Amino acid sequence: MAASAGPRPGWSRRAQYGLFFSFLAVLAGLAVGLILLILSLVAPQSYSVVRGAALDATAPISGALREVTTTVTGLVGGAGNYWDAANQNAQLKRERAALMRRMVEARGILEENQQLRAALQLREHSRDAVAAGRVVGSSFESSRRFAIISVGSSEGVQIGMPVRAAEGLIGRVIDAGSIASRVLLVTDRANIVPARILRGGQPVISTGRGDGTIDVRPLEVGKNPFKRGDVIVTSGTGGLYPPLVPIAKVIRLDDDGAIAIPIADPSRVSFAIVEPPFEPTALAAAAEPASEGP
Amino acid sequence: MVRSALGPQSARLNKGPRAGADYIPAATVVAGSLLALLPIVSATGWWPDFGLLMLLGWRLLRADAWPAWWAAPLGFVNDVIVGNPIGMSVAMWAAIMIALDILDRRTMWRDYWIEWAIATVVIALSEIAHWRAAGLMGADVPFNISAGPAILVGVLTFPIAAFIATRLDRWRLGR
Repeated sequence: MAASAGPRPGWSRRAQYGLFFSFLAVLAGLAVGLILLILSLVAPQSYSVVRGAALDATAPISGALREVTTTVTGLVGGAGNYWDAANQNAQLKRERAALMRRMVEARGILEENQQLRAALQLREHSRDAVAAGRVVGSSFESSRRFAIISVGSSEGVQIGMPVRAAEGLIGRVIDAGSIASRVLLVTDRANIVPARILRGGQPVISTGRGDGTIDVRPLEVGKNPFKRGDVIVTSGTGGLYPPLVPIAKVIRLDDDGAIAIPIADPSRVSFAIVEPPFEPTALAAAAEPASEGP
Repeated sequence: MVRSALGPQSARLNKGPRAGADYIPAATVVAGSLLALLPIVSATGWWPDFGLLMLLGWRLLRADAWPAWWAAPLGFVNDVIVGNPIGMSVAMWAAIMIALDILDRRTMWRDYWIEWAIATVVIALSEIAHWRAAGLMGADVPFNISAGPAILVGVLTFPIAAFIATRLDRWRLGR
């Protein structure tokens, strides 16, 4: 075991002073750290510039590493696809025929739906994506659930905007650098999404549980409305998230709610799409709930 | 001396510390923080805090790996890279340096198990602080699915960090 520097480094006055000033400096470091920490707990948005700059500096590294891993897994997966190709081909043909039939049905429903909507004169919001990027990393060392995506304010991303994938909702932006942003995932405890059950449309509240699952509770007290396999979609209440985006699928019931797993798995989705808030006025309001992030 | 210089294995002669030996420990702590940039998208946050593990590995190995106050800027780098609330690691790592300095004066002897026990306490306190800070920021997750597993994983991976610090120490000093 190496000898400790010890309380007294000999008779050298200079070395003694050196130790003493080093001790004062570490005390100062502790004090500065506590002040910074209190500031970031009380007023998280005060560091948005620093955090944005840090994201810009670090996200390209994660992005490049991500490219490497997707290439490698793609090669392995691609080789695997050749194995048993004839069986796969036959199966895919069967599925394609089945999907073709479903598509014709769906087209009929779509046209009927358009006619009915025209009859009701529902105003259709035009929803153009702000930007689309890759999920390049996550906060795997922290109990908070964040993901890093490879688009930032240079593409128009702003704090508070909802992020989704083709499969379903991912979360909302809480830090925006110029080329990367940090997303508060729907599985984070601090992310509360107004939602409803797709079957029946009963309003529920979705809260992350911090371990990759989501807690869903009905807004009205009463009989537990959930069933295993229920799909939870956003309700559009609050105006931040667009309505009817799938969030999660119920896997287990508990006393008065249920546990669900997110439909869009951030580690699998190919693209994360940043959308403008459903009601543009919600962005100003969203800056307040977003401030509970760091 | 002369005989060994004439022998085939003279590699151990004239070997002092390597260039930049004073900065290698701090650099490895930053490298540990940079591991947070690996493209891992995880549903849970149970991975250990690699920067803290390297800091502990070095600090428990030797008290003069870096001047104690370097812990504060190293902590700032860790906060910014990992995405912690800024100030968390600054305060925590400075406090760890002070606490371990005090501990160095109190302990009469040290062995590997005592160091592991000290590391366990420090890692646990650190994870609990992160857990409480997350709770204050609106993410009040139960202990047994967030900080608990993270403490376990961190404590079990500490020996790896300690091993890396020991080997790097011998390498940087040219031993």
